[in-house]
Amino acid sequence: MKALLIGEYREGKLLDSTYELFGFAAQLGAESALLLVGNEAQLPAFGGTLYLADAAVCGEYNPDLHKKLVLEAVQKENPDYIIFVHSSYGWDLAPRVAAALKTAQISEVTAIVSGGFEVGCCNAKMRRTVKQNNNKAVLTIQAGAFPALQPGGTPQLQRLAAEGATTLEFIGYEPAEKKDVDLGKAEVIVSAGRGVGKKDNIPIIAALAKTLGGELGASRPVVDAEWVSHSHQVGTTGQTVSPKLYVACGISGAIQHLAGMKKSDFIVAINKDKDAPIGEVADVLIVADVMQFVPALTAKLA
Amino acid sequence: MKLLVCIKQVPDMESRFKPDAAGTWYSESDLAWRMNEYDEFAVEQAVQLREKLGEGAELTVLSIGPDRVVEAVKKALAMGCDNAVHIQDPAAALKDPWQIASMIAAFAKDRAFDLIFTGMQSQDRGSAQVGVTVAEQLGLACTTTIVGFEYDNGTITTKRELEGGVKGVVKLKTPALVTCQLGLNVPRYPTLPNIMKAKKKEIVAIAAAELLREEPLTTTASFHPPAKKGGGIVLEGEVGSLVDQLIGILKEKTAVLR
Amino acid sequence: MFLDLTEEQKLIQDTARDFAKAELEPVAAALDQSDDRGPLLANLKKLAELGFMGLNVKGDYSGSEAGVVAFSVAMTEIARACASTAVTVSVNNMAAEVIQAVGSEEQRRAYIPKICSGEYPAAGFALTETCAGSDPAGMCSQAVDDGDSWVLNGSKIFITSAPYAGVFVVWAVTDKDAPKGKGISCFLVEAGTPGLIVGKEEKKMGQHASATCELIFADCRIPKSALMGKLNDGFRIAAGELAGGRIGIGSLGLGVGLAAMDYATRYVTERSQFEQKVSNFQAIQWMIADGYTELEAARLLLMNAAYRKESGKSFAKEASMAKMYATEAANKSCYKALQMLGGYGYTRDFPVERYARDARITSIYEGTNEIQRLIISREILRNSS
Repeated sequence: MKALLIGEYREGKLLDSTYELFGFAAQLGAESALLLVGNEAQLPAFGGTLYLADAAVCGEYNPDLHKKLVLEAVQKENPDYIIFVHSSYGWDLAPRVAAALKTAQISEVTAIVSGGFEVGCCNAKMRRTVKQNNNKAVLTIQAGAFPALQPGGTPQLQRLAAEGATTLEFIGYEPAEKKDVDLGKAEVIVSAGRGVGKKDNIPIIAALAKTLGGELGASRPVVDAEWVSHSHQVGTTGQTVSPKLYVACGISGAIQHLAGMKKSDFIVAINKDKDAPIGEVADVLIVADVMQFVPALTAKLA
Repeated sequence: MKLLVCIKQVPDMESRFKPDAAGTWYSESDLAWRMNEYDEFAVEQAVQLREKLGEGAELTVLSIGPDRVVEAVKKALAMGCDNAVHIQDPAAALKDPWQIASMIAAFAKDRAFDLIFTGMQSQDRGSAQVGVTVAEQLGLACTTTIVGFEYDNGTITTKRELEGGVKGVVKLKTPALVTCQLGLNVPRYPTLPNIMKAKKKEIVAIAAAELLREEPLTTTASFHPPAKKGGGIVLEGEVGSLVDQLIGILKEKTAVLR
Repeated sequence: MFLDLTEEQKLIQDTARDFAKAELEPVAAALDQSDDRGPLLANLKKLAELGFMGLNVKGDYSGSEAGVVAFSVAMTEIARACASTAVTVSVNNMAAEVIQAVGSEEQRRAYIPKICSGEYPAAGFALTETCAGSDPAGMCSQAVDDGDSWVLNGSKIFITSAPYAGVFVVWAVTDKDAPKGKGISCFLVEAGTPGLIVGKEEKKMGQHASATCELIFADCRIPKSALMGKLNDGFRIAAGELAGGRIGIGSLGLGVGLAAMDYATRYVTERSQFEQKVSNFQAIQWMIADGYTELEAARLLLMNAAYRKESGKSFAKEASMAKMYATEAANKSCYKALQMLGGYGYTRDFPVERYARDARITSIYEGTNEIQRLIISREILRNSS
C-alpha cells in the first residue's frame, strides 16, 4: 500500500502537523512518499521519496499550482491514498485533487477502523465509518488525532515545478489580533480555585496558562474575592467553556463550576483532596498541593 | 450580476442523535431543524452584496432535501434572497458530497452565476467538500473559510481564517465561489414582516432526478456514538514524578502538547 | 386536523428563540437584580425592529400581520428567557391591537406605527384603579367634557411600562349616572401631557425589570380627538381586548414554566446523590412527567384560543381557560423545578428562583384566575340555560 503525504509550510516554516501524517501512515501500514511546497532549508528527517517544489515560486497558498503538483506526484507514485491534514490548507486543496482524479475523499479522519475510516459528524457528537467506493482515496486527517512521528533518514529529493495562470492571488498573511480574554475560544484554559490560597499566587497559575498557550480561568470564589476579574470566571454565573484542555487548579468542583466546564475535551484537576467532586469529571486527578505542583509543571514545560 | 447561495437544513446540534434503521445516518424523528450555521453567514454575505449592488442584481438561494428544507429556504428569503430553488430529494442524506456537489453544479452550469456562496461545511456531515467541489466542476475560482469579504467591480478580496488566528488575504475575480466561515459577519434575524412577505417569493421545485448524473464515491458503513470515555485516572505521589506522568498523558491524549 | 405550526410560524418561533437566547437570556438575571433599565429598553427597541410589537397588526400600520398563533409562540419564547421583557411586549401588542380595533383611521396612523417601530419604547394600558381591580367597571377616574377638550382626573395603579410608555390607552368614567359599566369611555393619552403624572413604582416580588407604576391624572387636559371608539362604550372595548391579552399572558406563563422545567430536568441528569443521577429517582421522574404534561396541555389550550381568535371565532372562554390553566401550570412547574434543584434552587446562582418569582404574578394579572373561572363558568352556564 502506498501513501502520498502532503505536508504544509506557513511563512517559510514546515508545520509540525506534517509529522502527524507520518504517524497516520504508520498506522495505516503504508509506504510513504512526501510532497512539500516549501524550501530546502527546512526539510523533515525522512528516508523516502520527497517531492519538493519551491514555495518561493509556487506560493504557500496557491491551490491551482499546488493541485498540479499533487497530480504530478500522484502520477509518479500512483498512491492508494493521498493524505492531507484537515487544516485550512488541507480542506481547501484536498477536494480539488479528489475532483481532478474523480476519486473518493474522506474528510477529517479520526481513526482507522475495520471497514474504513472513522470520521466525526454532528459537531463531533457522533462518528461515521466511511469507506471509499474506488481503489484510490483522498484523506484528510483530524489535527491532533494521530501521534506525531519523526521517521528519520535522508530523503531522496525529486524536484517538481509548476506554472501557469492562477485564479487566485495570495496577498499575504495578517497576524492574529491581540484580544482581551475570550475563554469561549481558548483551546487551553488553566483555572484557579480557592485552593491556590491567595491573590499573590494567581500569577503562578497564569504562568502555566501562558506556557500551555492558553487563558487563565477562575472559579466563582476567586472572582468574588477579586483575585481576578469577572471576565475569567467559568461556571453558571460566568462562561461555559469547552476547550481541548482544561486544568482545574485547587478547584473543588462546586456544581456551578462543573456545569461550566465539564464539556471540555480533556480535564486535569490538581487538588489536595482525592474525593473532591472535581474528580467526577476529571480525566486525570493529580492529588497534590497546587502551589507545589503547578510551578514544577510550568518549569518542566518551559 | 447573478448570485447564488447554497444552504443546507441540519438538525439542531443540541439534539440527541440516534442511528436510523439502516445504522448509517441519524434517525430523523424528534429532531428540530434549522439552517446550517455556516450557511447563515453565507446568506448574510450574499444579501449584503445583493443590497449593495441594488437593481440589476439577483440573489437565488438553493437547497437540496425533502420538503422540510423549505423552512430554511424561507428563512433565507426572509433574510433578503430574491428567489429560491428547492431540489427535491427525500433521500439527500444518503448522497455523498460528490453527488450533492454534482447536483448543484448541474443546476448552476448554464445559469451563469457570477458568484456562489456556500458554508465552509455542514454541521452534521462536516465534510467541507461540497463548495470546493462545485467550483471545481464548474471551473470557478474558489477560496475557502473566509472571515472577510469585499467586492469591487468583479474583484473579490477575502480573508481566509488560518490556524492560530492568522489570516491569509486572497484576491480572486468573478466568476467565483467562496465558502464562508463562522464570524464572517453578523447574520441578521429575519424580521417578522419579511418572514410573512417571503411567502410571496417564488420557490422553484426541481426533482433531484433531473440533475443527478453521478454515482457516489464513498459509502457510509455506520453511524454511531464515539467510544465512551473511560473513568478518570487518579495520580498520587512525589511532585516530580507526577509532573512527568502528566506530561506523558497530555502528549498521548491531547493535541495541546507536541 | 392540523396541529403543527406553519413554516412562517415556525420561523417566527425560531427568530424569537434565537433572539431571546442571544440577547435576552444573558441580561435577564442582571435586569432582575439591578435598577438599570438600559438593557431592557435596548432590547425592546431591537424586538420592535424585528416586528414583535405588532404581531397581529396590519402592515398598513407597520405591523407584522403574522397572526395570533405567531404572537402566542413568540411570547412563549421571549418569556423563556426574560419574563419582564415578555410582559412589556405583550402589553405593547395589546395596546396596538386595541387602537387598531377601535381607533379611528387617524388615531391608528398616529400611534400604531410608533409602537410597532419602537419609536415609543412601550405603550401603556391604563385600566386598573385602587377601587377597581377585578371589577374594572367600578372605576372612579373621570373625564369631563370641557367643550374643547376632555379633562381627566383620578389615578390608575399597576400600570406596566408607565415611565417609558409613549402613549397610554386610558379608561375613565364619562357618565357617572349611567348604569354600571355603561358610562365608561376609552382615551389615548400621550406621555408628557400636562397633568399626566407617573407616580410611585411598585417594589414587586418578581418581573423586576418591568416597571409597574401608579399613574395620576390631575386636571389632565386632552383634545376631543383623544376619545377612542364610541362615547360610553369603553367598558365593552376593555372586556374584549383583555381576552386577547390573556392569550399573551398565558403564553408568557408557559414560557416561564418551560424554562424552569427545562433547567431542572437538565440539572437532575447531571447531579448525583447516593452514587447515582438524581434523575434515577422515581420521585423526580414523576415531577418531570407531571410538569411537562401540564405544560403541554397548557400549550394546546393556548394554541386553540389563538387559533380561534385568528380565525374570527369567539374565543373569550377559550382564552380564559388557557390563561388560567397555563399560568397555574407555570406556577406548579416552577415549584417542582425549584424542588428538583434542592437547596440550590433557592439560591440566586441558579435561575429557577427567578422563574418562580416571575411566574407568581401570572395567575393574578390580566384578570385573576378566579375571574377567569367566573368568565368560563358564565359562558358555559349562559349556553346551557
